[in-house]
Amino acid sequence: MAASSAPTYKALTEKRRPSPRIAQMRRTWYFLSRNVLALIGIGILVFFAGVTLYGVFFDHSSSTELQDYCGTYLGGGLENTFPTPGCTTVCTYGEGMAPPAPNCYVVDYHEPTPIAPTLNVAHLAGGPLPLGSFTLDLSGSHSYSIYQGFVKGAQWTLLVATVIVVAGAGIGLLLGSVAGYKGGLVDEVIMRVTDIFLSIPALLLVLVILAVAAGSIPGLWGRISILIGGFTVTWWPIYTRIVRGQVLVTREQKYVEASRAAGAKTMRILGRHIIPNSMYPVFVQMSLDVGAIPLLIAAIIFLGFQIFPTPNFPDWGVMAAQAVNQIPSALVYCQVDSSCIFPWWQLVIPGLILFCFAISVNFVSDGLRDALDPRLRR
Amino acid sequence: MKMWVYVIRRVLLLIPVIIGVMTITFSLVYFLPVQDKLISLYGPSKVGYNPMVPCNQLGIPQSGNCVNPTYVRGYHALGLDQPVFVQWAKYIWNSLTLNWGSTDSGSFASHQLGFSGTLPITTALAYLLPYTLELAAISLFIILVLAIPIGNYSAVYRNRPIDQAARVLSFSGFALPGFLLATILLLGVSSAMGAGIHCNGTADSFDYWYGSWPSNTCFPPSNRYPSFIGTYLQTSPTGFPTVDAAIAGNWALAADSIRRMLLPAFVIAFGSIAAILRFVRNSMLEVMNLDFVRTARSKGVPERTVVSRHAGRNSLNVTVTVLGLTFAAFIGGFPIIEDVFHLRGVGLMLAYSIQRPFDYGLIFGVTLLFTIIVVIANIVVDILYAYLDPRVRLG
Repeated sequence: MAASSAPTYKALTEKRRPSPRIAQMRRTWYFLSRNVLALIGIGILVFFAGVTLYGVFFDHSSSTELQDYCGTYLGGGLENTFPTPGCTTVCTYGEGMAPPAPNCYVVDYHEPTPIAPTLNVAHLAGGPLPLGSFTLDLSGSHSYSIYQGFVKGAQWTLLVATVIVVAGAGIGLLLGSVAGYKGGLVDEVIMRVTDIFLSIPALLLVLVILAVAAGSIPGLWGRISILIGGFTVTWWPIYTRIVRGQVLVTREQKYVEASRAAGAKTMRILGRHIIPNSMYPVFVQMSLDVGAIPLLIAAIIFLGFQIFPTPNFPDWGVMAAQAVNQIPSALVYCQVDSSCIFPWWQLVIPGLILFCFAISVNFVSDGLRDALDPRLRR
Repeated sequence: MKMWVYVIRRVLLLIPVIIGVMTITFSLVYFLPVQDKLISLYGPSKVGYNPMVPCNQLGIPQSGNCVNPTYVRGYHALGLDQPVFVQWAKYIWNSLTLNWGSTDSGSFASHQLGFSGTLPITTALAYLLPYTLELAAISLFIILVLAIPIGNYSAVYRNRPIDQAARVLSFSGFALPGFLLATILLLGVSSAMGAGIHCNGTADSFDYWYGSWPSNTCFPPSNRYPSFIGTYLQTSPTGFPTVDAAIAGNWALAADSIRRMLLPAFVIAFGSIAAILRFVRNSMLEVMNLDFVRTARSKGVPERTVVSRHAGRNSLNVTVTVLGLTFAAFIGGFPIIEDVFHLRGVGLMLAYSIQRPFDYGLIFGVTLLFTIIVVIANIVVDILYAYLDPRVRLG
């Protein structure tokens, strides 16, 4: 256990005396870095963050529509970064033949047979990874790029999930701390409303709000803000309950009593003492929800509710949901042509992306919980 | 406190919560366009609910648009000219008396379910609810059968392979989207059963697991369902598929209906099992160190009995508590899973009603129904908990 390179707990705390909150953070990091699963989770999250940054700064494909490989473009004015115009003529070639153009993969426009991911290195050398030929919309002969969906979808998925969680936690923090600190009628009213919201299944509440608000604000950012708003309305109650429970404990502490005796106003006590000391369970819940929200968005899209402006919006949930929705037509096609390749990869890869993100977030929040709760430290 | 006093008090507390839920749905309905409100409460009429319609449609020999009398009548009948509070009271009264409006014959859901004209929403839901309830019952059974033993043994064999496996299971339950797990399981099981996933006119292994009875003839699910409500009325006295088949004496069909629910019930249970496992394991770790367990061991009680009878008795309490906390999430999984497997329950109805054109009446109806189920389930959990743990009643 005694790692010689890493500074020991004692050394960290005794070197000099930093402010208590900094010391607390260092202590948390110390215990977090002893947890292998949490470190794995952090590693995966760093990878996803890198992908997001790469998508924002270096990948110039459209960030509102997935690249359509061989079909027609659904929107106008898109920059075609892949030099495969007229895919039907230029890029169709038989198995075993040399590709007629460098950035060409076996993508047949007319036949709705999905193309298996190739392991041929010659194809890899040509240009963008053949990951691009992964998702195929059989009904419309559109083949979307899973690679682009991953890179460009990262920013949307992370942005939406983060904003929802921060907004929900903010509202919950405000209401929960007031309810917990004031007590009495205020507490009763806030908590009963919270209970009512919590008894409506999250998926249904989001769906109802989105169905009512659908189309009320047009445009890309209008849609995104409706999405965020609907989820925030659904997500604040859980934070309110957590914060209230925590504040009930914190407000009985001696330092709060001392502050009150010194004549501090309510807002100062809440802002300086109670809220900062009730934050840690909120952080844990926030990290859990950042993983849960993309899954719920994916589920809503799977149900057929279009929450993004375009049907082929680059989002991890869209990719997974589209892949699953295309399975029936693939099965029907396979009934006709027994030599067809079942497109397993378009299920597995978006699924793995969502799974890795959610599970790494779970690992980190589990590690955080252990690190923040003195009783669980080992 | 006596048990029945406790029960009555809990049931009385249900009323404000249900009124609160209805208030939330009312505030959402309030923002709907007037036309959608009229449709979801009265069904579409011939003239439609546009405020102004061409005069010749109304039989007035005049060019231009005229005020639509149907719109005006509906507007007044709905009381949209009255103050908000009166509208709210009316809405609550209608909701409590099961007057939830009617389906929209122009909506995607109506078209997909294959009934023409309008239908009271409560009627539609009443035919679909038994299927969902049976699915939920099987799912709860799977949770109880799997979560408690796995949780108990992962605590007993702490940090051994079974514990690690349980932890992985628990984590992946939070991280796998239900629809993906369902699809992969469906494809995997049906292809593992042999016969591939081809359908050549005869039922194959895919058909064994997909859809609700009566069996699908062949795969393409893009074909819409033949008269959804109609067949239900003719073939189902109770609506519970297994019970109906048993009443008809058709045991093969009863077995078939249960088999069709096994995979979806497992997928729905999976998320809850993940949450329950952790709590059962943690509580078991605490209980195993208590004095009565040591006493039981020193008496010479076999270890298996100690785990299952003495220490494990507590796990049921924990399971019931966590189920109560996660019941909303549990119910929220039904629309997705019923959509994947094409099971004719309330969830599939919701999945259809959120396709454009929306059926607002159905969306609100299903939401209200599921929320009422959650609220009632929470009370059942509280009562069960009080029954299992007498200390609760004393407090």
